[in-house]
Amino acid sequence: MRESRTTRIVLAILVLVSITLVIIDLRGSSSGPTAFIRSAGAAVVAPLERVSGAIFGPVLSLGDSLGSLGEKDAQIADLEAENARLKSELDVVANDKARVAELDALMGLAGNNGYETVPAQVIAVGPAQGFAWTVTIDVGSRDGVEPSMSVISGAGLVGRTISVTPTTATVLLVVDATSSVGARLAGTSQIGIVSGSGRQDALQMQLLDPLAVVDVGDVVVSFGSEADRPYAPGIPIGTVLQMRGTEGQLTRSAIVEPYVDVSRLDIVGVVLRVDERAPREPLPMPTPSPTNSTTGDDTATADDSATIDDSATPDETAVP
Amino acid sequence: MMVVRRLLLCLVLLLLAAVLELTLLAPLPFPGATPPLVLVTVAALAFAFGPTTGAVCGFVGGILLDVAPPAAGTLGIGALILTVVGYALGRLADPSDRRLLVGVGGTAAAGGLSVLAVAVLGGLLGNPRTQWGDVPGLFVTAAVYAALLAVLLVPLIQRLARRLVPEAFSR
Repeated sequence: MRESRTTRIVLAILVLVSITLVIIDLRGSSSGPTAFIRSAGAAVVAPLERVSGAIFGPVLSLGDSLGSLGEKDAQIADLEAENARLKSELDVVANDKARVAELDALMGLAGNNGYETVPAQVIAVGPAQGFAWTVTIDVGSRDGVEPSMSVISGAGLVGRTISVTPTTATVLLVVDATSSVGARLAGTSQIGIVSGSGRQDALQMQLLDPLAVVDVGDVVVSFGSEADRPYAPGIPIGTVLQMRGTEGQLTRSAIVEPYVDVSRLDIVGVVLRVDERAPREPLPMPTPSPTNSTTGDDTATADDSATIDDSATPDETAVP
Repeated sequence: MMVVRRLLLCLVLLLLAAVLELTLLAPLPFPGATPPLVLVTVAALAFAFGPTTGAVCGFVGGILLDVAPPAAGTLGIGALILTVVGYALGRLADPSDRRLLVGVGGTAAAGGLSVLAVAVLGGLLGNPRTQWGDVPGLFVTAAVYAALLAVLLVPLIQRLARRLVPEAFSR
């Protein structure tokens, strides 16, 4: 009888403590005692997860590739065909590329859209019954990662970091129901907000312009936030799968299929910094010089992508 | 001394369960729910040590799942649910009653109901993530996985407890 009474008291206390934690956490989870409990707990568990992730990571990757072995054969055949086609296109592209590089140098845009990233491995995933689409990666504040940084993979936008410990970071995936990203339809000026639906194969995009012309298959890229936090500009998110709602409503919405398969994340990159855009200067006037062919030859061939300024100076010194 | 050893055993097992659930079981493409390893560990400890330890283990295991990265939900929900689970399962099978079937059935029910509890509490507290359409599938799969894990873990943890904390079973 006595045993049973202590048990009930213990139960009552623990239930009350739990409910108190819930209430405090709902009032403001970013500060206060629950934030402390969270970071302290994370600091204890994170190193263990790193160890476990290092052990099971290779096993999980192996299982993943074994599972898709059949697909791989077909994939290789496809890739070979594509490779042959691309090779024939390459010559044309090489020529175009040289021209584009030259043009970029001219505009002072060289190196634009380069991201400085730190590579990371996914080591833990939130349980499915928690309904949250979050993962843990094995880089943290020690590697320069902070909350609110974009996380990308080879395919496109993965999500953003929401919290860090010294050795790990938690990533909120784009498909999570609480995630929203400012986005743009590539090649147009249409902007909108891409929010997660809680399903891994579909995102929702609210277009701000009710009369926007959107086609199925249009590419959606991130719009970029102020100071590139949390989202860097120009990261591909996905393609428009279908349109919803009729034209004339206050906003139109589209279903967007994300490029990144969040159920098969392995190596991702955290965008630490977006390369600074070079300041745009007024274009210098091209100086037509008849002696170009005789004296300026060396510099012109050695450095094709040099700006006009560079190739112009030796000319002028050589004229007299 | 006995209490310290018992708590240490529980803590180590729960930490191990939480880390394995998040780094090994959750990334594997199981259909439906993630196998609830922490819940089954709490259940096994409750069967071994009774409702008081069960409730404490449930609270600790729940807090661990609430704070371990990549947790992003409300702190305390998991602790609340698993505290009740640990207490209830400890009451269900008092240490004199050691039929495996009771343990497995009780754990399966707890696995399914905990999914329902997360969804209902999330709905009440305005969690935008809750996907009601997924709940039936998660309910069934969580119960099945819990039963399978219980068949393995309940006897194992029972034996481990008897070996390491024999005083608890001398009564």
